[in-house]
Amino acid sequence: MMKYTLFVGCNIPARVQQYELAARSVATRLDIELVENQEYKCCGYPMQNSDNKTFLLMAARNLALAEKEGLDMMVLCKCCFGSLKKAAHQIQHDAGLQQEVNNFLAEEGLYYSGKVKIKHFLSILFHDVGIAAIKEKISTPFTDLNIATHYGCHALRPSDVTEFDDPVNPSLFDDLVKVTGAKSVSWPLQLECCGAPLMGVNDTLSMDLAEKKLADCKDAGADYVCVGCPYCQMQFDRVQNMMLSEREMTQEQEIPSIVYPQLLGLAMGIPEQSLGLKMNTLNITTLESYIKTETEIDSE
Amino acid sequence: MLYTFMVYIALSIFGLGLIYSLSNWFRFSIGFNAGEMTTGTRIKAALKGISGLFNKEKLNVIWTVFVQKILLQKHIQKQDRLRWIMHMLIFSAFTFLLIFHAFDKIIVTPIFDRFYLSMNLWLVIAGLIVLAGLAIAIYRRYILKVSRLKTSAMDLYTIIIIAAIILSGLLMEIIKLSSYSSYQSVWWLHIFLALLGLAFLPFSKMFHMFTTPLSLLVNAVIDENSDPANIATKQVMELDACTHCDTCSKHCSVAVAYDTLGNDNILPSERMTFLKEYVANKNISAKKLSGIQQGIYLCTNCDRCTVVCPAGINLRELWFSAREALVQRKQPVNLMLTPFSYFRGLNHQRIDQEQYNIPLDTVKSALTAENDFSSTKLDAPIVLDHGDNEFQKTLGISERTESFNYCFSCENCSTVCPVVINYADSQQSLDLLPHQIIRSVALGLKDMATGSKMLWNCLTCYQCQEHCPQAVKVTDIFNKLKIISIEDHK
Repeated sequence: MMKYTLFVGCNIPARVQQYELAARSVATRLDIELVENQEYKCCGYPMQNSDNKTFLLMAARNLALAEKEGLDMMVLCKCCFGSLKKAAHQIQHDAGLQQEVNNFLAEEGLYYSGKVKIKHFLSILFHDVGIAAIKEKISTPFTDLNIATHYGCHALRPSDVTEFDDPVNPSLFDDLVKVTGAKSVSWPLQLECCGAPLMGVNDTLSMDLAEKKLADCKDAGADYVCVGCPYCQMQFDRVQNMMLSEREMTQEQEIPSIVYPQLLGLAMGIPEQSLGLKMNTLNITTLESYIKTETEIDSE
Repeated sequence: MLYTFMVYIALSIFGLGLIYSLSNWFRFSIGFNAGEMTTGTRIKAALKGISGLFNKEKLNVIWTVFVQKILLQKHIQKQDRLRWIMHMLIFSAFTFLLIFHAFDKIIVTPIFDRFYLSMNLWLVIAGLIVLAGLAIAIYRRYILKVSRLKTSAMDLYTIIIIAAIILSGLLMEIIKLSSYSSYQSVWWLHIFLALLGLAFLPFSKMFHMFTTPLSLLVNAVIDENSDPANIATKQVMELDACTHCDTCSKHCSVAVAYDTLGNDNILPSERMTFLKEYVANKNISAKKLSGIQQGIYLCTNCDRCTVVCPAGINLRELWFSAREALVQRKQPVNLMLTPFSYFRGLNHQRIDQEQYNIPLDTVKSALTAENDFSSTKLDAPIVLDHGDNEFQKTLGISERTESFNYCFSCENCSTVCPVVINYADSQQSLDLLPHQIIRSVALGLKDMATGSKMLWNCLTCYQCQEHCPQAVKVTDIFNKLKIISIEDHK
């Protein structure tokens, strides 16, 4: 059995609870044990542009807590993931910084050596669990379902720091979608930003970027966009819903977003309540109609 | 005679204090959108709200909250056993003393005739239990030093006044056995302290014995969709319900920022202390304002404070109202240009469009005002002082940010930037394109490098950095430039 310490960050418990719910349901099916740690706090992501020292200490404190547990970290949010990786990278390349960080951590009796492995949820599914093992658990695969995978910037880039996948031609997420029976469509703006980092700073620009992406994957024939990050999910779910009323965006242009464990969970036959399908703002319950019927499965 | 006089004085102060506090709930407001409502409207809304509670479903909710949270305080027990024991010791024994001792003639004697005669031993035991609770309180604050638990003058007053009342009472019981005359003076002391506590109760932390249960009850029956007038009233009441127990600060997601920046207002419990003053007097100095603006904006809106608050205060909504009121005060809030703004953006439909944009425009023009990029003309050639320029030295401290030196102006960064592509007139809209910012850095032109609109419209999506053939860490450099700019505009 695989065991990780789960880092959920700030947004998921407050606004995207379905992501944690679905991830836990899927993890149970895959024999992954998730250890909770109430001591984790903000990863430091929102401090990156205003105060590097505070950013580093916020991140390092979490990393030290994970080290104390002696487990690898499973991170659900891509911005948390990127932020923790970036802090670990900065500290690793600067001995003076490591000293400074540890002086601060010592107040709480913590120490950060740099040995904890920071892993994103999707990486764990792909590398640690493996496509073959996931495939074994698929009981109700999708048919005729077209999914647009959105990789998320802060997991993919800067690739020398995040080490998530090939930054120009990634495939990890597409493979994870294909194993559910769904088709992963190729779309030109796949690797672009969802716009979330500028929401609240320049809403027009933020929504412009989201709108372009949504139109692009719709054009590519996708039925749903699929993400592995609460910021991307909020952008494509709640913000898209706002866009439907604020912009010249019609209902036909709407394309709902789903977090990956919801998609995987459905293909594993996990009931929708355990995946929080109804917790999304835009309706995704129609997704269940893409599940193959038993006769279809038998005839194969 | 003197005794009766003192009782009436204490009761009058208590009564007036109560009226004053209650009137504050209906007169004051924190929110940016509650200003228009009159006190009359709010009282009417409150009465209407209360009358709507008399149905089976609501009464059930109220009863459950009363038993579970007010009497047994199970939610505190779950969070922190020591704090629960401390509070239960003080709460139960003090309530016992109030009923069977302080108000015995009103409550006990009419029911149980001559009951109090056998009570002395029980009174002493109850007094000792309260003291044990206080000892834990002192232990937590001064010996255990619970992380980020701050002790205000009010916290200290509360401990001292309870301790003084109980100790004088116990002393009285002991002295009674030996000397009648000293007993009398200690009796007077005990009465004086008890009446002092009573008189100042509505102005002190002890007021929470009414307001905290009220907050727990009100928040069980009110939500974001309730009458805005009632929400406005509730939010002022909640300030009185806060006991400064610091549970919120203990769980606060950004508490580390308090450790590094030393700004008390980052901690939710300290923001509450500030808001208590602010709600009555909105004239604050520019320095204090920038402190509270930073404090209240440096928040990931993770909701933990709201979830853990033992008084049931809806801190999330309180911050939303207070934050909006504070950012409207014409002083630029630098953090508005960081991802801390996400929550405000996500809720922009709740804020008047014009009001929403004003503070953003204020901070954007404060951080980009120094340059008029369209008419920049150089009077003299730029002196290239590689390595000597202070600004470049700041960037040179990290192997990642010193990479600006490798730029050979291929403009790949500007070509792949999704922000640049979004504008037909990108140069006008953004002042400088990414490669031009990097060139400004290489030329040591700090104002240019840190002052363009491009910088503050950067998504940090790292496309530029990933696609740079010279491995210039473009986004990392941008982040550093933003930090420098924010430092300079403190």
